[in-house]
Amino acid sequence: MKNFSRFARGTGVVLIVLAIWEILGRLELVGQGALPAPTQILAQFWKDRSDYPPHLSVTLKSAGTGFVIGNIIAIIAGAIAARFRIAETLLRGVGMSLFAVPLIAIVPVLLLAFSGTTPRIILAAMAVYFPTYIATMNGMRNVDERLVDVVMVAGGSTTDVLRWIRVRSALPHIVSAFRVAAPAALLGTLLAEFGGGTRWGLGTYLLGSLGQANPSRLWSIGLVATAVAASAYMLFAFIGARLSRSSMSATVQTSMPIGEASGPWWKRLGGGVVSAGVVLGLWALVLSILDMSPVVAKSPLAIVKYLTTDPRAAESRSRLFDAYSETLPLALIGLLCGLAAALLLAVILSLRPTLGRAVLPFALVSQTMPLPALTPLIVLVFGRSILATVVVCVSVTFFPSFVTISQALATTSPAAIDVVRVSGGGRLKTLRFVGLPGAVPAMVTAARLAAPRALLGVMIAEYLATGNGLGNLLNESRGRLDYGMIWTVATTSVLVAVLITQLFGLAEKLTRK
Amino acid sequence: MSTLQEVAGGALRVQNVERTFALKDDVVRALDKVSLEVPVGSFISLIGPSGCGKSTLLRLLAGLESPDGGSLLIGDKTPNEMRTAGRLGVAFQDPALMPWRSVWKNITLPLQVMGKPVKEFQTAIEELISLVGLQGFEQALPSQLSGGMRQRVAIARALVTEPEVLLLDEPFGALDEILRRTMNLELQRIWSARRPTTILVTHSIEEAIFLADKVAVMSARPGRIVEIVDIPFERPRDPEIIRSSEFHKLADHLSELLFAGGGH
Repeated sequence: MKNFSRFARGTGVVLIVLAIWEILGRLELVGQGALPAPTQILAQFWKDRSDYPPHLSVTLKSAGTGFVIGNIIAIIAGAIAARFRIAETLLRGVGMSLFAVPLIAIVPVLLLAFSGTTPRIILAAMAVYFPTYIATMNGMRNVDERLVDVVMVAGGSTTDVLRWIRVRSALPHIVSAFRVAAPAALLGTLLAEFGGGTRWGLGTYLLGSLGQANPSRLWSIGLVATAVAASAYMLFAFIGARLSRSSMSATVQTSMPIGEASGPWWKRLGGGVVSAGVVLGLWALVLSILDMSPVVAKSPLAIVKYLTTDPRAAESRSRLFDAYSETLPLALIGLLCGLAAALLLAVILSLRPTLGRAVLPFALVSQTMPLPALTPLIVLVFGRSILATVVVCVSVTFFPSFVTISQALATTSPAAIDVVRVSGGGRLKTLRFVGLPGAVPAMVTAARLAAPRALLGVMIAEYLATGNGLGNLLNESRGRLDYGMIWTVATTSVLVAVLITQLFGLAEKLTRK
Repeated sequence: MSTLQEVAGGALRVQNVERTFALKDDVVRALDKVSLEVPVGSFISLIGPSGCGKSTLLRLLAGLESPDGGSLLIGDKTPNEMRTAGRLGVAFQDPALMPWRSVWKNITLPLQVMGKPVKEFQTAIEELISLVGLQGFEQALPSQLSGGMRQRVAIARALVTEPEVLLLDEPFGALDEILRRTMNLELQRIWSARRPTTILVTHSIEEAIFLADKVAVMSARPGRIVEIVDIPFERPRDPEIIRSSEFHKLADHLSELLFAGGGH
């Protein structure tokens, strides 16, 4: 009965919102028709129904292939890193780069090196690698030591431990990483489709529809992409729930732990240098395997030359600097706004749980909507302005931060709350003295996890719409065949993103002390 | 001192065993020249304060760790040889069951690890399950069982390979006092049916006396065996003996030893 009334209330909220949306759309109250009514979107979808199967099948095939390849590599790498500490150190740079890199910066490089749907598959694989790698490594390493003893006493070897315990223990972790990885694969594919390659693909379709002044079609494509991402997520959530029916608590793990280096500073520094060397080595290796012309393919050294000794080095440097000084502040503002919004909602939820519960489903939907599909819609509503860029940024950073912060608010110690209560404090006082101070480290964690997303959000908005900053520099360089700049943007954006996450990581350590 | 001197091949001999752990700026002698002899088919309890190295000794006997000095032999085999041959059984305070496996499949695990065909052991496993009183729960998952039942599964698993040596590390340490007494009776019954050479590590004086042929009392820092006390009660033992004056005398003697040797 209680479940039913909750369900009825939930349905009620959804119906009310749909009704408001319908009125807003029919009366063209938002951005002069930028937000069409749900029925108009549906009608457009029906009109275009024959367009979808070819586009969708190409996208699904690329995303699926990338998902499989990326996960196989990630699982093998994770298993090796779980077994050998040295492998973990060596692979840390690769993992961090793939976690932090704004994927769109890689697209032009991939398009230079590969043709057809290959760039899409590779970008999808890159997008899924990190969550699965971390889940495999942690899942295989953190097993019940007593179980290991039981297998050993039964005459088992380390191989038996791997076979009977580690693999099975890691399985629920890996499947729950797939939940995150599946929408990520779609995101990677859509981004690569923006760059071209073939005429098919949902991203290509979306890009082609941008200039048609047909908001209903953009919304329809965006919602189809959302539906794909959400069903992939739910598929793995379902499998995960069956797998872990008894073996682990099914808490949503949003704050992905990043493998922390440990040991004295010189050891960590050395490990960092070596693992960065692995990234550079892989880069050189791939270039030599592909056997590309040095005019098109740039080695790390070529990029250094491009920025220092090349005759046009000064001009390149200043273009790069200008682009960063446009992009980074926006990403920072967006990140801060996203965090502020997340904190606000988390606080409201902790004071007025019912109110928060009504908002949550919509926050969730905005979360599953793939960023490349979401950006054009936001640009549509807010115009080609800085505001649109910031809104994109907020929308991608808001939800994960919200989850991290409200978890921290929810886990404040009951005893501490009682102390405030007994002293005559109400909910507000409790929040002020117990909840908020406890949430500070969570805010920093949220910032670290959301920073790469913020950067990606701004760059996509710039690439598709506003014509500023790094996103635009990528576009321009492709047009001018300025290969040096394409590679430079890709490389420096990885470096900058890793640096930013490291800085937040440092701040996190300081606040947790 | 001992009345159970046998010259059977499988007796367990611990001679001058040493084991040290290096901490940050200190070296802890977990075991300092520990010697112990356990005849085939007998039951010995190891009792002592926390940190006296009794669990360490058990891990050495299980072949999970190696000593820094001295020797451990089971018959003419090292613990590691016994371990890889699958001739040991072990149960810990934590039942350490695989949460994703049913009771039946948890019990068959050691057989699978040893690469034995589980089908051939069908009747043996059924007998074992009824021995530990888990009929009807074969397909249950550990999360559906009570603490005592989980511990029975762990003991059945320890026995499934028909081990010659059974190593128990506070198997009932996490259970409440009432359940613990019941489980002690059960363990006596199960042990009497198979008679593996058994070493039980425990914190409980009562449990140590009730189950064992001999109780070895250990002291901490460094870990040593202070005295080995013979327990003369006839088997099978009735819970009534716990209230007897002889039992009380033994218990008093053991607590004296414990508080003199290890009570810092």
